[in-house]
Amino acid sequence: MTTTTDALATASRMKLHLRINWLAYCVVLPAIVIRCGFTVVPMIQTILLSLTNKNLTNEGRFIGLTNYIRLASDPIFLSSLSFTLIYTFASVVLELVLGLIVAMLLMRVARFKLITNLAMLLPWVMAPLLAATVWKILYLEHGGILNQLLLALKIVSEPVHWLSDGNTARVSVTITTVWKNLSWVALIFMAALGALPRELYEAAQVDGATVLQRFRFITLPLLMPTIYLVLMFRGMAEVVTYEQIGGLTGGGPGSATTNLALYTYQRFFQELRYGYGSAVNVVLLLLTIAIGGFFAWRLYRSGR
Amino acid sequence: MSTTSHVEPKTVRQILGKVGLYSGLAILLLFLVFPIYYMFATSFKTPGEAYRLPPTLFPLRPTLDAYPYVIQQWSYWRTLLNTVFVAGTSAASATIIGGIAAYGFSRMQFAGKSVLYGLMIGTIAIPAMVTLGPIFIAYKNMNLLDTHVGLIAVFVAEGLPMAFLTLFSYFKAIPKDLDEAAYIDGTGFVGTFFRIILPLALPGFSVTFLLLLIGFWNEFLFAFTLTVTPEVRMLTVRLFEVPARENVNAVPYDLIAAGGVLILLPLVPLLIKVRDQLVEGILAGALKD
Repeated sequence: MTTTTDALATASRMKLHLRINWLAYCVVLPAIVIRCGFTVVPMIQTILLSLTNKNLTNEGRFIGLTNYIRLASDPIFLSSLSFTLIYTFASVVLELVLGLIVAMLLMRVARFKLITNLAMLLPWVMAPLLAATVWKILYLEHGGILNQLLLALKIVSEPVHWLSDGNTARVSVTITTVWKNLSWVALIFMAALGALPRELYEAAQVDGATVLQRFRFITLPLLMPTIYLVLMFRGMAEVVTYEQIGGLTGGGPGSATTNLALYTYQRFFQELRYGYGSAVNVVLLLLTIAIGGFFAWRLYRSGR
Repeated sequence: MSTTSHVEPKTVRQILGKVGLYSGLAILLLFLVFPIYYMFATSFKTPGEAYRLPPTLFPLRPTLDAYPYVIQQWSYWRTLLNTVFVAGTSAASATIIGGIAAYGFSRMQFAGKSVLYGLMIGTIAIPAMVTLGPIFIAYKNMNLLDTHVGLIAVFVAEGLPMAFLTLFSYFKAIPKDLDEAAYIDGTGFVGTFFRIILPLALPGFSVTFLLLLIGFWNEFLFAFTLTVTPEVRMLTVRLFEVPARENVNAVPYDLIAAGGVLILLPLVPLLIKVRDQLVEGILAGALKD
């Protein structure tokens, strides 16, 4: 009896779908067409441009992989590639670890919800360029509040060259990025932690597992899908960072904090070398797809 | 005896734990809020104090003098209107177009569904930077540079995956029987969408709209590259044009900070009013299942 009603329901459902099939495309296609028109089409154009020597004055002709061969011996490109990788790795790992710690901390604090919520959301709601502007004022070497506080607390003995020393500037831009994105990661982890089954922890406690063991053998394995999700979204975002670094250092000093996004923008929009700038862009594209694809695959695998 | 010896170490440990917990919380809050506090504090300083050595934590003589200056130099009200118009229109369009598509994907069967779904989600991996150059060239040829229409079109395309994912998770939570019953009763697709789905998923729609609004409010790359004249530009782009005082060479930190406050402030009421829903919306967009 139940099987017949089920079958009937399925049949009517299928009929419904068949009847409205033409409608489905009307419903779904506008979004797909707009999205592809502004992403897939320009992406193909960028790839094609990267095979030409087009610039502002020259219409450009096909030159094969010449741009890419030149990239391989372009020192600023190579340094921006390595900085992109280091910066992405460092900021994502810091966001992941600190975000998890912050989430576990906030899960245990029942009070000051309003203040904590607002404090968490404020950096998140700020424009990346605004975050850079604010931190640039903090990072001032002479007359900057950060150096002033560190000197007064005797943590450092002389002013830190936040933005004028190459290696320090690389750390400084990473700190700003972590500050900006920590909240988002922590919020995701809080939701994931809130959904973990209580009984497992109670059972482990009865068995005498220590806090560390409980984290290592219960929390961490159950959090793996969330960790991959965070790595995927943050990795794809940090690898293309433009405003934070542009606003803080403009890629300097020298080209110490120039990443691929800044480098391609300089070549394309400042030097108007459309072909060469696009070749840098294709490298950026491949990197983003690699990061997104890898963690999407890990996420998919961990979900089963 | 035995109870006291049992209780005391526990309370000591509890107190230590509480101390650790709240000092951790204090450090976190300080780290998150201090830069924003300092922006506000700097904006209330007099020009002299803003470049004083050593810098001050609190404005000695708080003043609002920087604000009229920035408002005039940036033609703030005009720029704010541009921002509200462009970000609002883009967010509303992306929410509706993305929402309708998400509804289609969550309820209908059609050939090529998984390919189209893959196109929608897969394009997230194409960075804005990669699309910027060709869009710029195309806009130049089509005379769309420096127009709000051009900017809105790009923003809608940029916002679609987020709208799609967020609303998709809201629609999946609505039992299919509800709208199928409506179909069988003869309510058409449009009727079902607006009379059944829209009211049920209204929190989802409003949160999607707000998340996109904040994103477009803060967008810089397209807003900077695709516009030229001050009359068309949006607020964030203004941050690159440092307001200056006549006859003063030093960098006017008080003016820069005031500008920052003027960009952030319109978003704060939004944040206070809808912070819980915002968190929920962020999660719905990120955690698909």
